[in-house]
Amino acid sequence: MSDAKAVADRLAKVKRLNALLTPLKDLRKSLAAQSAAARPTGVLYGMPVVAKDNICTLEFTTSCGSRILEGYRSPYDATAIAKLKAAGAVIAGKTNCDEFAMGSSTEHSAYGRVLHPLDKTRVPGGSSGGSAALVGAGAVPAALGSETGGSVRQPASFCGVVGIKPTYGRVSRYGLVAFGSSLDQIGVFGRSVHDAARVLSVISGRDPRDATCEDRDPLRLPTVPESLQGFVVGLPREYFPPELDPAVRRACERAIRLMKEQGAAVREVSLPHTAYAVPTYYVIAPAEASSNLARFDGVRYGPRFNGSADVRALYRSTRGQGFGPEVRRRILVGTYVLSSGYYDAYYRRAQQMRALIAQDFRNVFDRGVDLLFTPTTPTPAFKAGEKLGDPIAMYLSDIFTVTANLAGLPAMSIPIGRVKGLPIGGQFIGQAFLEDEMLEAAYALERVVPAEDEA
Amino acid sequence: MTWETVIGLETHVQLRTRSKMFCGCSTAFGAPPNTQVCPVCLGLPGALPVPNGAAIGLAVRAALALGCTVHPRSIFARKNYFYPDLPKGYQISQFDQPLATNGTLSFLSAERGVVNATIVRLHIEEDAGKSIHDRFAKATAVDLNRSGVPLIEIVGGPDLRSPAEARAYLQTLKQLLEYIGISDCDMEKGSLRVDANVSIRRAGETALNTRTEVKNINAFSFVEKALSVEHDRQIALVESGGTVTQQTMLYDAKENTVRPQRSKEESHDYRYFPEPDLPPLILTPEFVAEQQSELPELPAAKRDRFMASYALSREHATVVTSSRAVAEYYESVVRAGAEAQAAANWVMTEALADAKDHQEQLRVTPDALAKIVALVKGGTLSNQAAKKVFTEVAAKGGDPRTIAESLGLIQVADANVIEGWVTDVMADHPSEVERYKKGETKLMPFFVGQLMRKSKGKADPKLAQRVLEAKLSV
Amino acid sequence: MSVSRDEVLRIAELAELDVDEETLPALAEQMSRIIDYVAQLSAVPANGGVKMFVPGPDAIRFRADEVNPAPLAFGPAEFAPAFKEGFFVVPKLGQFE
Repeated sequence: MSDAKAVADRLAKVKRLNALLTPLKDLRKSLAAQSAAARPTGVLYGMPVVAKDNICTLEFTTSCGSRILEGYRSPYDATAIAKLKAAGAVIAGKTNCDEFAMGSSTEHSAYGRVLHPLDKTRVPGGSSGGSAALVGAGAVPAALGSETGGSVRQPASFCGVVGIKPTYGRVSRYGLVAFGSSLDQIGVFGRSVHDAARVLSVISGRDPRDATCEDRDPLRLPTVPESLQGFVVGLPREYFPPELDPAVRRACERAIRLMKEQGAAVREVSLPHTAYAVPTYYVIAPAEASSNLARFDGVRYGPRFNGSADVRALYRSTRGQGFGPEVRRRILVGTYVLSSGYYDAYYRRAQQMRALIAQDFRNVFDRGVDLLFTPTTPTPAFKAGEKLGDPIAMYLSDIFTVTANLAGLPAMSIPIGRVKGLPIGGQFIGQAFLEDEMLEAAYALERVVPAEDEA
Repeated sequence: MTWETVIGLETHVQLRTRSKMFCGCSTAFGAPPNTQVCPVCLGLPGALPVPNGAAIGLAVRAALALGCTVHPRSIFARKNYFYPDLPKGYQISQFDQPLATNGTLSFLSAERGVVNATIVRLHIEEDAGKSIHDRFAKATAVDLNRSGVPLIEIVGGPDLRSPAEARAYLQTLKQLLEYIGISDCDMEKGSLRVDANVSIRRAGETALNTRTEVKNINAFSFVEKALSVEHDRQIALVESGGTVTQQTMLYDAKENTVRPQRSKEESHDYRYFPEPDLPPLILTPEFVAEQQSELPELPAAKRDRFMASYALSREHATVVTSSRAVAEYYESVVRAGAEAQAAANWVMTEALADAKDHQEQLRVTPDALAKIVALVKGGTLSNQAAKKVFTEVAAKGGDPRTIAESLGLIQVADANVIEGWVTDVMADHPSEVERYKKGETKLMPFFVGQLMRKSKGKADPKLAQRVLEAKLSV
Repeated sequence: MSVSRDEVLRIAELAELDVDEETLPALAEQMSRIIDYVAQLSAVPANGGVKMFVPGPDAIRFRADEVNPAPLAFGPAEFAPAFKEGFFVVPKLGQFE
């Protein structure tokens, strides 16, 4: 049972991170009201959960880290939020993120960057940087983020927390402001596998309001296994390239050794089309985004950026000024790859590559492998400003995470060590709708891995 | 120089469902603006589409009625463009894998007889909202009640050869869709909309030339006019040395002209791609069979059956099957005992005329009409008297015979009584009798008329004529 | 440069985005860089045989035709930037018809 004041105080203490977009005054008031109304029989009764600002909530605003939705109050709750409330949780504010979830550092927010909880010169990762930072700083036990190309796992790895992306279709997207519709999923951050998994279980399950959400019962949590006997863990060689940061490699090798000690069988495998994953992603995601963001036009909600002589001027100035440079770039790239003359060469080709990437995973899982283990990110958290010069440099930080979104598979990051004091995560990629097996392996590793120790 | 016109029509038809295509909002017409809306049809951030099964069923029925190939797997696609009444900035439609393709619509052309026009494709999409330009000065008012209403788009091939044929095609299509009950097909209400592709070529040419698209045809009666105006414009243009450019022409009903749409965009790049928020649309054989079984007898089949079973002419059968309601009414009248031809005459004249003035209601029950027909056939009522009875029954109901009696309209067919009247008429008009007997048999209608007056319309005119003939030939 | 200034302007028009003259050259360069990067996909032979991968359910589940609107805690009058007499208000269409 949480104390509304204590929750707000903990969040106030880490104000400097710029992770929370909700003014503390509004937060205190809302927490008091929510705590009073929370269902005492709910499995998450009293648990404060923060939500990424691209998830619609009746409380507070939903601005998606953008000026184009500055001050926007959603008239409905996302299904995931409604489920959290029904389980007795309280929504402890909205978190800062890269604008419309486009980014890998939370430096592309219109509301300022988020600081890494352990090193203010570094980024917490993105796009769900605010959520990751607050859990990493111990201000809240759990947070909702969203994934399109790794936006939960990558910041989880950087901030030293657990981050889970469910199978596509496991959690309803109703109320998640769409970026890449065929890639998006709401994901969960937690201090531990258990905290994150509990929240995931509550928000998962069928939703008649989302046609892409599978007709399944909510995720049933597995128990912590006694050993990893019987698990076959695959190590895809493409994720352990020769140039991989040596400290990251050491951390992974330590984790692999620990899993073997727990009885897991470990096998090297190959996912041959991995090299094409990032370019594939950067065709499909912007394409879908260019269409998903067309609704932001100043007509029905959000601010207008120009008195305007005619409606086209309204569109162009609202969108030109309301969207930041990264979002504008992606909309333009997305429009380009869908446009007449380019559709076949880019979009259709990327969809074909996506099918091959998904096939790579099926081939490996069909040959007796239960899960895959990889580094989550090629490096620990980088310095703020380091990757802003070249968009491609930023995109490459997603190199190990985008494949799971492209293939629709569940994946998660757990902290497995430190590199010069900075956290680094190890990633599990599981089979579709077999989150329970993935969680079992994560529980087993978490129990023994020295996450705070240098690798 | 003889010019041939080539026309293909694209029709959008609103499906008659309770809720919208992708959300549970009501589709009821006439609600106050922006009251039948939700996050989905408002295009709010985070909202997602969920398809209406009944709409899909009605679309399949339309496709089956048009003889199309219904594809068991089709895909929804996004058509991307910006417009104030298009809330998401894209319309969910279908593109390269539509619900149905390759059908036929047979209609009767005054110039060419039966024409089997091709239906190129039929697909499902959602409607946009409404933009109203004249409510506010310098601003446009947008109402999203209509946003998301289910539509089917029916694309006809370039098979029509005149504005009149376009009208006939549209009339036949409208009738078919009304028969199967999937839409009100009301152009004034906007549940049926038509755009036309028009081009011209020299008579005898087979290739197709550049076409224009004619839009803003808002009433049935404008179809032929708008297309005539456009084809005249194209002919005049080419004959004076110009060339037809591909553009959108808007019809102005007040001036009866067409003018080019002022938009800068010559060709739209809609950047179609498969809708990622919707899985593929899979139709099971059971589902398709169910839609097939819900189809009623279609107009052409019903017309042919009426011609065969009731010995009606094609023309009469066409009128009597013009709508399903009228056809079913007619058949009920015949089944209630009326003679088929007589019933057809009554339905085509009195019943339809009355319905026109009374919101299409067929006010006289089939039973009652059958009785009226029988009364005329049996000589109890003259045609004129029967019409009066019809009017009375239409307004107040009741038994036709009882009403005829109370109105004193029962025909006199008693030969004795008629003989009495004949005698009187002959006595009143001796010179005409003289002239008739001398050979002016053309005076018979005069005598019949006089007798009808003397009998205050109650004499059975046929019997009266026989008695007159008998008496005057003596 | 694979994406020219003119092309950027054309695309920006399709996307209804203002692009000012100052940022145009940098934008064209960045877009070219990105398009060149993703163009490596064309190195892989076009495989017509591979089945499209679509995550999520295999088929649409039909919703019943009932009037059951998704909830709105408050209506357009509360969130619209310009709302009058029940209508959203936008500047006149100008070039549109």
